[in-house]
Amino acid sequence: MSWPARTIAYLALWALLLASVTIAVTLGPAGISAGDAWGTIFHHLGLRADPPLSPLRDAIVWELRLPRVVAALGVGAGLALAGTVMQVMTRNPLADPYLLGLSSGAALGAVIFLLMGAALLMPLGAFLGSLGALALALLVAALLGGATPSRAILAGICIAALASAATSLLIFWSATGDSYREILNWLLGSLSGTVWSDAALVVVALIVCAPVILLSGRGLDAFAFGEASAASLGIDVARLRWTLLAATALLTGVMVAVGGAIGFVGLVVPHAVRLAVGSRHRVLLPASMLVGAIFMLWSDTVARSLFDPRELPVGIVTALVGAPAFLLILLRYRRIT
Amino acid sequence: MRAAIILGICLAALAAVPAEAATTYPLTLNNCGMDITVPKSPARVVAIKSTATEMLLSLGLADRIVGIGFQDGPLPDTLAAAGRDLKVLADKVPSSEVVLGTEPDFIYGGWESNFAGDAVGERPMLSRLGIASYVAPAACRTVKPPKLSFDGVFGEIAEIGAIFDVENEAAALVAAQSAALGAVVPDARGLTAVWYSSGTKAPYVGAGNNAPAMIMDALGLANVFGSVDDGWISANWEAVADANPDVFVLVDSAWNSAAQKKKLLAENPVTSRLDAVIHTRYLVIPFPASEAGVRNVPAVVDMARQLKALSFDTAP
Repeated sequence: MSWPARTIAYLALWALLLASVTIAVTLGPAGISAGDAWGTIFHHLGLRADPPLSPLRDAIVWELRLPRVVAALGVGAGLALAGTVMQVMTRNPLADPYLLGLSSGAALGAVIFLLMGAALLMPLGAFLGSLGALALALLVAALLGGATPSRAILAGICIAALASAATSLLIFWSATGDSYREILNWLLGSLSGTVWSDAALVVVALIVCAPVILLSGRGLDAFAFGEASAASLGIDVARLRWTLLAATALLTGVMVAVGGAIGFVGLVVPHAVRLAVGSRHRVLLPASMLVGAIFMLWSDTVARSLFDPRELPVGIVTALVGAPAFLLILLRYRRIT
Repeated sequence: MRAAIILGICLAALAAVPAEAATTYPLTLNNCGMDITVPKSPARVVAIKSTATEMLLSLGLADRIVGIGFQDGPLPDTLAAAGRDLKVLADKVPSSEVVLGTEPDFIYGGWESNFAGDAVGERPMLSRLGIASYVAPAACRTVKPPKLSFDGVFGEIAEIGAIFDVENEAAALVAAQSAALGAVVPDARGLTAVWYSSGTKAPYVGAGNNAPAMIMDALGLANVFGSVDDGWISANWEAVADANPDVFVLVDSAWNSAAQKKKLLAENPVTSRLDAVIHTRYLVIPFPASEAGVRNVPAVVDMARQLKALSFDTAP
């Protein structure tokens, strides 16, 4: 892509993102006008003196909708970014952020915390679980004789299977009455009940991890041709690999902790964006983040408002849209190659 | 409502008229989309879930029960003595083999899913083994049951009475419950309510066509989610906040107690601003009484008392 086209594409994506946010905060089961919704946000940002709405309706906008919108943007951007990195590092088009057992580990951690009666600490459990799973997967890979991508993937599959089995066993063993419903919703991926601290966690994770990944664009380009080629281009392959893996794991762990294992975003968005902008990572990475954020925001907005007063786990929406989208992308690839 | 109560009393009276009524066996009836045949009054019964156990105990059938499973909570005081020595097959749903090991001739399930292959066993399989199976009608999924009413609950009592040839006990229970229900004066203050069953991130609430709707209706409460044609739904906190109900009905269960719900409602930045939470206007119902069964009427009586004690001077 030439630079004017690229600039226009970026500007278009940013404009779409802003427009999406503008519209999404005005949508929801409660009938609040767009003007009042934005008036409330301006009031909280200190741009307007008096709140336009009653304290309760003010809270609907500021404490329910906005944290969810922010979290959806962050989770979408984070998962798309992590997916892009995983696909190139493993040179595997089926890779997604959950490859190394991260989501299964997170689910196990969350279920343990939930069953201990600490439903509100589920994100912490998920985060510890995903890090534990990653550490185990890398340890197993190292025991197999050095952590190459294929060994890490195989070890990850083992850890993921073990963690899912343990999760199922725990649910079978201890879920009483209808407490399994909460677990199932979370396993499907859901941003319902997101509060500001969740949104803040997502934003901080992005601020910490995204720059590390975005600045490795050139290295990732080299990786696409294999590690040997990358090394011959003067890149410290081992160091880059571990840096990227750590950043991706941290990012994914936080995203799963907040939203559960939301599927397809980290798999489909990188492919779709690659099809549009090519595989130069300096363009691909930020574009994937933007598209992931927009896609996730709309999926979550649909999940929370289309079936009013019901709430749908957002993972169902992303899969419903993502699976056919993935098929279309595969067909496009077929025509290209 | 009043018409329903009068109808209930009439039905009870009708059922009570043939005082020496006896069931003619074999008895065939359609239960949740399946024809079942009961060759004689069942003598070895397995009851799954509290609603099934409590129904049998209320009809004086404790000596027929060879095992119970998946109880949702302790028995109410009125039934505790009768149910003291029941054999608990499993805390969760017992497996098919455990149930068959008791050599039952009748299995009574509070949920249709209790009869899954990985639970007690599929109903056709049980039927081939000569075991009649019965799903609490309000919990049927194969055939959508009509909107639950107290006549529906009394119908289940009468049906179990017929199956076990204890029509007189059933008629007496229905008459007593009809009278108790008839004495409840629905609240006339025009209050709205949300039936909060479980869930934290997305509340699982009572909708328009099962026990929650029936009980709230009897109490004179307008159910915020009453227009949704379902028993219970995963709702969204924004819809709850938008409705700002006058009262919350909190279901008290071992896995999600009323105390936990009160804490969550008071600590959440949005729900803490709801009128019902600010003024702590809560009605509490034990979980086993929140599904269709013999405890619905006592629950209505108890909750009507709780509701009467609530003050609405400040709002709405």
